[in-house]
Amino acid sequence: MHGIIENLINQLTRLPGIGRKSAQRLAFFILSMPESEAMSIAEAIRTVKQTARFCNTCFNITDNEICEVCSDDSRDRSRIVVVEEPSNILVIERSGAFRCLYHVLLGALSPIDGVTPEKLKIKELADRVAAGGIQEVVVATNPNTKGEITAQYIKEVLAPLGVKVTRIAYGLPMGSDIEFADEVTLSKALAGRREL
Amino acid sequence: MLQRTEGIVLRTTPYGEADLIVTFLTKDHGIIKVFAKSPRKVKSRFGSSLEPLTCSRISFWGKEDSALPRLTQADITHVYSSIRESLSGFLKVSELIELTLYLVPERDRSRNVFSLLMRTLALMEAGPAEQLITLFYKLKLLDIAGFLPRLQSCGRCGGEGDAFHLMQGTVLCGNCCTGDGQVSRLSRSARTFFSTLLKWEMSKLHRLKPAEGIIRELVVLIDEHAQYVTEKNLRTKSFRVG
Ligand SMILES: [Zn+2]
Ligand SMILES: [Zn+2]
Repeated sequence: MHGIIENLINQLTRLPGIGRKSAQRLAFFILSMPESEAMSIAEAIRTVKQTARFCNTCFNITDNEICEVCSDDSRDRSRIVVVEEPSNILVIERSGAFRCLYHVLLGALSPIDGVTPEKLKIKELADRVAAGGIQEVVVATNPNTKGEITAQYIKEVLAPLGVKVTRIAYGLPMGSDIEFADEVTLSKALAGRREL
Repeated sequence: MLQRTEGIVLRTTPYGEADLIVTFLTKDHGIIKVFAKSPRKVKSRFGSSLEPLTCSRISFWGKEDSALPRLTQADITHVYSSIRESLSGFLKVSELIELTLYLVPERDRSRNVFSLLMRTLALMEAGPAEQLITLFYKLKLLDIAGFLPRLQSCGRCGGEGDAFHLMQGTVLCGNCCTGDGQVSRLSRSARTFFSTLLKWEMSKLHRLKPAEGIIRELVVLIDEHAQYVTEKNLRTKSFRVG
C-alpha cells in the first residue's frame, strides 16, 4: 500500500477504539471526501491543539484565561463540583442536574503510581474555598478506590476551612438488574438509601 | 488455555478507553498481569471486582507463558474494604504492595507471598498495631526474597556488634568493620526484638508489646535497607497526609 495512506492509517489507529480495520475504512473515506471537508477536520484538530488550555480558576478546558463556566454569572456560585477530568464536566452539564461551578483535579490520587497530592490541583481547590463565598464542595471523583481515596484526602484538606463537603451517592446504574450487581456496589447502594 | 486460581488485586493501570491491566497476586502463579476488557464501563460484568484489595476466584485465558492473558471471570470472595476506605490504612498497604512488586518477580510461584499478604491484611483488618504488622510483613518479604538484613550479630565473625552497614546489609563488630559507607547504630533491645520477631508466629503478633521506640528504630532501618536493595525510592513514602 502507498506510504502516505499507510501513514494515515497508522496515525488513526492511535485513537481510542480504532483498530486496524476501522482505521483503513476511515482513511479511505477521508481520501474520498471533498478536500475542503477533509481539511476542516485537520484544521479543527490543529486549532484545538494550539489554543486549548486550562482555565486559570477551575482547570476546565478553554481557549481563554477563564472558562465559560467560571465566567457565567447566572450560575450558583456557592457550590463547586470537584471532578477528576475536564471531560467529566461535559457529562455532568449534559445531565442538567446542576448549574454551579467546577474544579478539575486533573487526575486521582494513586500512591503506588506516584500520583501524590502535589501532582493534582488540590491546593488550588483549597485556595478557592479559602477565598470565600463557597458553601458546599461536592466531590464527584470516580466511585472507585482512587476516587474514594482522593475524596477522603480532600475532606481532610478542607476540614479546617469549615466548608460543607459532600460526596456523590453510590447507586446502581439505571436500567440495570439488581441480580447482576456485585456485592460491593449493592452494599453501597443500600447504605446510601433515602426515604421515599 | 483457561486457567483458574485465587488472587488479590494489587494494582490497576488504565489501558485505552475503558480497559484495564490488572496486577494480581495469585495463589498458584505468583504475581501476574492480566488484560481486562471494559471493566471501567458502568455496566461491565466485572463490577467492582477489579478494585485494589479485592480477592476473587479468577479465570484467565492465554498460553502458559502468555505475557498478558485475558481475564474472563472474577468472582469476589472477600474485599478488604475497611482498609481500602481509610486513607491512612490504604497508604500503609500501598507501601507494602509497592515493596512486594519490587522484590518479587512476576510468575514466581515458588514463594508463598500470597498467603503472607492475605494473613497480613486480615490482621490489619482485625485491629490496631499497624506498625508492628507492617514491619513484620516487610521482614518476612525480605526473607522470602533473600534480602533479610543481619542484625543479631556481626555478619563476619558472629561476635557482638551494633553498627549496621547499609552496603553490607549486616551488623559488623569493631574488629571486622573495615572501610566506610553508611552506618547506623542499633540499640541492643532493637537487635533482640528483631531476633524475636524472626522466630515469632504471625497469628500471635498481638502478644508482643515492644516499646514504641524499638519499633521505630527497626522501621527506619528496615526502610533504609529495603530502599538500598531495591534501588528504589518508595513512591508511597513521599505521600504525606495532612
Ligand atoms: Zn473555569
Ligand atoms: Zn566481627
